Amino acid sequence: MYGTNMTVRKRLTWIFLLASLFFFILIGRLAWIQFVQGEELHNKALEVRLRDVPVEAKRGSILDRNGKELVTSISVDSIYATPGHVKNPREAAEKLAPILDMDVDTLYKRLTRKSSFEWIKRKVDNDTAQRVRELNLTGIEFVEESKRYYLKPTLAPHVLGFTGIDNQGLIGIEKSYDEELRGQPGRIVVEHDAAGRPVPEAIHQYIPPKPGYDLVLTIDETIQYFVERELDKVVAQYNPKFALVIVMDPETGGILAMGNRPTFNPNNWQEEPREVWDKNPAIWYNYEPGSTFKIVTAAAALDEGTVRPEDRFFDPGYIKVADRNIRCWKAGGHGSQSFAEVIQNSCNPGFIAVGLNTGKDKFYKYIEAFGFGQRTGIRLPGEAGGIVIPQKSATTLNLATMSIGQSIAVTPIQLVTAVAAVANDGMLMKPQLVKEIRYNGKTVSTIKPEKVRQVISRDTAHQLCGLLESVVAEGTGRNAFVEGYRVGGKTGTAQVVGERGGYVDGRYVASFAGIAPVDNPKVAVLVVVAEPKGGIYYGGQVAAPVFQAVVRDTLRYLGIPETPGLVKPKEPWEVETPRVEVTVPNVVNYPVEDACRAIQAAGLKYRTRGEGEIVYEQTPGAGARVNGGTTVILELQPVGKRKSGDPVTVPDLRGLSIKEAGNLLENIGLRLSPEGSGVAVEQSVKPGGKVAERTLIRVKFEPPRREPAKTSPEGGTVSRGQDKLENPYRD
Amino acid sequence: MRMRRRATDFVLFLTVLTLLSIGLVMVFSASAYFAGDPEGPFKDPFHFFKRQLFGAMLGIGAMFFMMNYDYWRLKRWVGVMLITSFVLLVLVLIPGIGMEFLGARRWINLGFFSFQPSELVKICIITFTAYGLARKKERVQNFTTGLLPFLMVAGAAALLILAQPDLGTAATLMGTIFIMFFAAGARGGHLAGLATVGVAGVVAAIFLEPYRMRRFMAFLDPEADPTGAGWNILNALMSLASGGLLGTGLGQGRHSKFLFLPERHTDFIFAAIGEELGFIGGCLIILLFILLVWRGFRIAITCPDAFGSLLAAGLVSGIALQAFVNIGVVTGTLPVTGITLPFVSFGSTSLIFSLAGVGILLNISRYCTPR
Repeated sequence: MYGTNMTVRKRLTWIFLLASLFFFILIGRLAWIQFVQGEELHNKALEVRLRDVPVEAKRGSILDRNGKELVTSISVDSIYATPGHVKNPREAAEKLAPILDMDVDTLYKRLTRKSSFEWIKRKVDNDTAQRVRELNLTGIEFVEESKRYYLKPTLAPHVLGFTGIDNQGLIGIEKSYDEELRGQPGRIVVEHDAAGRPVPEAIHQYIPPKPGYDLVLTIDETIQYFVERELDKVVAQYNPKFALVIVMDPETGGILAMGNRPTFNPNNWQEEPREVWDKNPAIWYNYEPGSTFKIVTAAAALDEGTVRPEDRFFDPGYIKVADRNIRCWKAGGHGSQSFAEVIQNSCNPGFIAVGLNTGKDKFYKYIEAFGFGQRTGIRLPGEAGGIVIPQKSATTLNLATMSIGQSIAVTPIQLVTAVAAVANDGMLMKPQLVKEIRYNGKTVSTIKPEKVRQVISRDTAHQLCGLLESVVAEGTGRNAFVEGYRVGGKTGTAQVVGERGGYVDGRYVASFAGIAPVDNPKVAVLVVVAEPKGGIYYGGQVAAPVFQAVVRDTLRYLGIPETPGLVKPKEPWEVETPRVEVTVPNVVNYPVEDACRAIQAAGLKYRTRGEGEIVYEQTPGAGARVNGGTTVILELQPVGKRKSGDPVTVPDLRGLSIKEAGNLLENIGLRLSPEGSGVAVEQSVKPGGKVAERTLIRVKFEPPRREPAKTSPEGGTVSRGQDKLENPYRD
Repeated sequence: MRMRRRATDFVLFLTVLTLLSIGLVMVFSASAYFAGDPEGPFKDPFHFFKRQLFGAMLGIGAMFFMMNYDYWRLKRWVGVMLITSFVLLVLVLIPGIGMEFLGARRWINLGFFSFQPSELVKICIITFTAYGLARKKERVQNFTTGLLPFLMVAGAAALLILAQPDLGTAATLMGTIFIMFFAAGARGGHLAGLATVGVAGVVAAIFLEPYRMRRFMAFLDPEADPTGAGWNILNALMSLASGGLLGTGLGQGRHSKFLFLPERHTDFIFAAIGEELGFIGGCLIILLFILLVWRGFRIAITCPDAFGSLLAAGLVSGIALQAFVNIGVVTGTLPVTGITLPFVSFGSTSLIFSLAGVGILLNISRYCTPR
């Protein structure tokens, strides 16, 4: 018996089929989501669940041209917490607080915050990190970050620059090469629930950062040191508004040294006013070069053939140009002289005559060719371009004054580059600061010296070099004379153009531009001392001695053979003092008695300071060349009791365990940053090297070859965390 | 009428028990992290599982009771059922009696558990409609006398449900009634008219209510508001996709567990299943529902009398529609509406009455005459 009729049954069948169809559509849809869109959506899901904390990349080091580290990034540990994993936050906070010098409540709050990542303290020193590690707290973890460290804070801070809080380059090379130095940040990835809390068995990943490239500069640490030393003397003597020295290798355009005063410590740059560090006068200062610019005038005239060295000039003490009388610096004038003598005497009327004779078009051709009025393109932030009166509007008077380096503004880098071109057979080079980029100690790219253009002919260049030599040998540049070397150069004394235009009385720029040795130039040097105080302001008096000292030490350091018999001609009033130079022996870490004996044996006197058995420090340092009879000061006091800031001699750590090395370094006021485990095989500062107190010495430890690695208990205490974090930098 | 009882539809029985078991396990798996959160309101990973287990036991009791309660006896209770339904639907709307949760009054708090009247109402309205349509026989072809009375009763109930507001339940109820009209032999023209009015009604309900409109826009483009209206659907899709073919494994779901998936143990439990059990698990659920629908309609078709046939068709359509809408929502096939997956989602009332409905189906199956 069927109570249900046919229509109903048919319709019920239809409904069933339709329902099934709909359900199969859902299966299709499910497949679409799980397979076709699967990966994309799954990745999105991970993105939603995972949160990253960026990890700084280790910033590349900056080395001098011989590979000596000037700036480095030291690895420091930053401590963070995964609050959900901290078992007993109150107890953990109480344990951490004294070590980290932090407030217990602040710590407790951080440890209980609903997040999976909380910084506890960033960039702590090794000692603190080690003590926190020893607490062995779950949920308290470490990540390696880097901290910029300027190993030689007195050397070229304006050039090297410094970085900000997040290791971003702010000025100098740190800024202009930021991209190369920066590296790529890594990440810490932690899985969270929707409330932002870490979940059980969370995905926890460390994606290591990629360290930045190392830069090898053209700067030579030693030459830079000579420059800084001489600048210190200038400051002590003249207290100028500022002073700068640039040493350039004429052949490559490489900057060997660049120093400025006033200066600052890049490790504590915030302590100095902004104007001290935010501009690098060597590339930014627009000034009237005065007589140093006569090198350019002479180059143009000689190259164009509008003058020959033997051409005669008569200087009555002034020259009349466009109804104006321009006076020579020497009252009464130089009388009759050859062009060579005009240069030696730096005679204004002579140069003006030469300049006018050369003519505006030709003179401007050389001004431009030497690169004045435009930036040299040195890769440093904040370069100025100098100011040149446009050729169209330049009057004859302008031409006349430009011939003697007035009514034109140049930057020191422009001038030294131009002088270097004269030294480099007339070829102008682009100033260069970085010669090589390295990654993990391997050369990634070498930056070739860049030729800009041939400005004057080889012959003109050689001729001019000879003339410049005569300036030093017989003319106004006598104070630049370097015994044993043939040097050439030109003095300059210009008045400062005041804020309202016009020259200001009593404010001068003393400068000296020169090359050495003239027969095969190795350096072009510019010394600028702006607004020296105390009444002496002539370039020949203020700047030339700086040139002399820098060039003398540099050429000796570079091992340039001396030309025998080159002795500075004596002025009749000069009294000769007998000088015997001796080398100071190394007595650091010697017993006092032995040290005294050694010093006396070297022909020196000594004086001890403090009480003790061992010489901790000596001044002047080992290897210094001093006059016989100089007193060497020996410090006998242990480091801890001494005022900080004195350099410390690094001992030989090879063969020591981490513990032994740590103890030794701590005793003499240094800090250890161990890498690896085992016995010390390599140290970041060579034995005998001098570093500032509290300097971190990175030491590489390796398991002793003959023994299995596990027998090094000290190695074992360097926690796994550190090994894990250091690895990314090793490969 | 008195007939010899046969064996009950064992396939249907097993299908439902399988769904119920999967549901119990998945409710626990999906809710444990949330429920066990020491800072959360429950602090007990078993909170929802225990309640679901309780509901399942009551539901199985109800199922066995209805399995043995001859379905035609239900005709006697139709009047009582209608009155009870409307009283409850009005009561639940009264603040103080109806419990408000997430902006909707759908539950009456009975202390030990919260009762959701609309679950009972569905069965009552279906029974009433089956009873009425069976009596009208061929007169269902007349709109005014054959369909309109049931339409008004069901429509009134649906409007009260809509007032909670609960568009999903109201719409599935009306959809079920519509299927019953079709099954009973209503004219094509009448049905087309009704379908038009119904669709227009749903569209109006969406467009007149800003939150529904937002959900609808999020359905069209979930990425437009990923942390707002699109959040539910996006996280449901991400959970599903995280499962792949085999799933992350039971209890190993992460996206569904860690609070990203909303309503993870109720409306969106299918997404949790998709993540932990993968495509295989999701397919199994859908296939089980197809099996259930097949057995249900087989019962309806082979049932000896019109009331039983329409009652079976109504009950199984209700379940099928709800399952389809739920899975449709979770897979982003339909706009989001709050509706549970029968037998699987957390919800004691729903379990009890769904299982009671299956009990009725099973009882009908005992009187079927297979061809």
